[in-house]
Amino acid sequence: MLDMLEAAVDTDADVTIATVQPTRDTAAFRQIRGLLDRLGLGVDDDIELFVTARDADGRLISCLGLAGSVLKCAGCDPDAQGGGVLRRVMERMNYEALDRGRGHLFAYTKPANRAIFESLGFSFLAEVPGVAVLLENTPFGLPRYLRDLSDLYLEGDRVGAVVLNANPFTLGHRYLVETALGRVDALHVFVVSEDASLFPARDRYHLVRAGVAELGSERVQVHRGGRYVVSRATFPNYFIKGGEERARAAAGLDLQLFRDFIGPTLGVTDRFVGTEPLSPVTNAYNAEMHHWLEDAPSAHPPIRVHEIERRTLGEAVISASRVRACLESRDLAAIERMVPRPTYEYIKANFFAEKSRTTKE
Amino acid sequence: MRIVTEAIAGTLESSDALVRVTPSDELRIEVRSTVQAQYGARIREVVEETLAKLGVIEGLISVDDKGALDFVIAARVQGAVARASRDALDWRAL
Repeated sequence: MLDMLEAAVDTDADVTIATVQPTRDTAAFRQIRGLLDRLGLGVDDDIELFVTARDADGRLISCLGLAGSVLKCAGCDPDAQGGGVLRRVMERMNYEALDRGRGHLFAYTKPANRAIFESLGFSFLAEVPGVAVLLENTPFGLPRYLRDLSDLYLEGDRVGAVVLNANPFTLGHRYLVETALGRVDALHVFVVSEDASLFPARDRYHLVRAGVAELGSERVQVHRGGRYVVSRATFPNYFIKGGEERARAAAGLDLQLFRDFIGPTLGVTDRFVGTEPLSPVTNAYNAEMHHWLEDAPSAHPPIRVHEIERRTLGEAVISASRVRACLESRDLAAIERMVPRPTYEYIKANFFAEKSRTTKE
Repeated sequence: MRIVTEAIAGTLESSDALVRVTPSDELRIEVRSTVQAQYGARIREVVEETLAKLGVIEGLISVDDKGALDFVIAARVQGAVARASRDALDWRAL
């Protein structure tokens, strides 16, 4: 009966709510692009589903995109606003996302939309003024993450943090961890949890744990980054290509969460990062780090950022991308010189085992 | 009733409420309302009473209220819990 009530609501006031799959409904998708374009918004190509609203004449007046667990490309025709159109779109999106097993949603939108998203049940997380806000659709999200995190608090006057994708964990990463550990009383290592890399998140996490364990220190704690540290939600442009300005805005959201919530929960005073000559996105992120962690206004004390010179092997720095290139060229000997033992054993077993060689030939 | 999957019920329309329930090993209730100052405590009571009648002792319950009357809030909580549980709803308890 509840379902019928809700379905009935979907067609009142001459507004029709529908879903659009960008890859299939090309005509409707063109109209969405048109609407967003008029609003000065672009369309990310990772959006799998739009919920749209049309007026009585069939004109597209509002849209909202879903990419994984992130809502973005929220748009509403200025002439149609005030009629609760976006509310209707959001209600439908709630059910569509839940049908796909995604209850916990994030929203990435213009700061001007903050109030309307909050009225639609979203909680504010972070804002890059004039550019973007990040919210989540539950009051239980970040507070519970922080509560779990506080169980892993380490004592110390100077507490460091490192965030790694570790795809895979190399001697370069281990050098960064070791160097950081030499300068602080305790160190937290966050491993990016998003499954967008060659090595699955679970394995990356375990390889970092195993590689860090080789250091034999009890002053270091390895964490899964979860959804609040460099995830698709907090930092979409790390995982999809986009303009440099948008990458900077996204980095700002992620870094504010760190400065205002994650850092203070663990008492982090210093953040360490490797210098980044090879990846422009990571390089831009490092530059933003100084701004958001040290200089930007915040209720919390600054977190000092230290860029650690990369460790080199031969002419070039050791990097995960170099290891992946050697995987491509099947050069196990070169890999062995660049990664800790656990990573080497893992690569040997998973990429160079007899079985995989015979299937390849 | 045991909440075993995430579920929602209701709308964000005026005089309605959107209730979202999520499995958890503890019971936590968060209420946000357009009439929080006047009725926030009462809404919470209605949610707690309804959950008690349904025998829900664990779960994250979030309520976005848009000025719904008590019986609407109770119905939305029941609806969300019924969708989130594999146990049958005991109508006599309500």
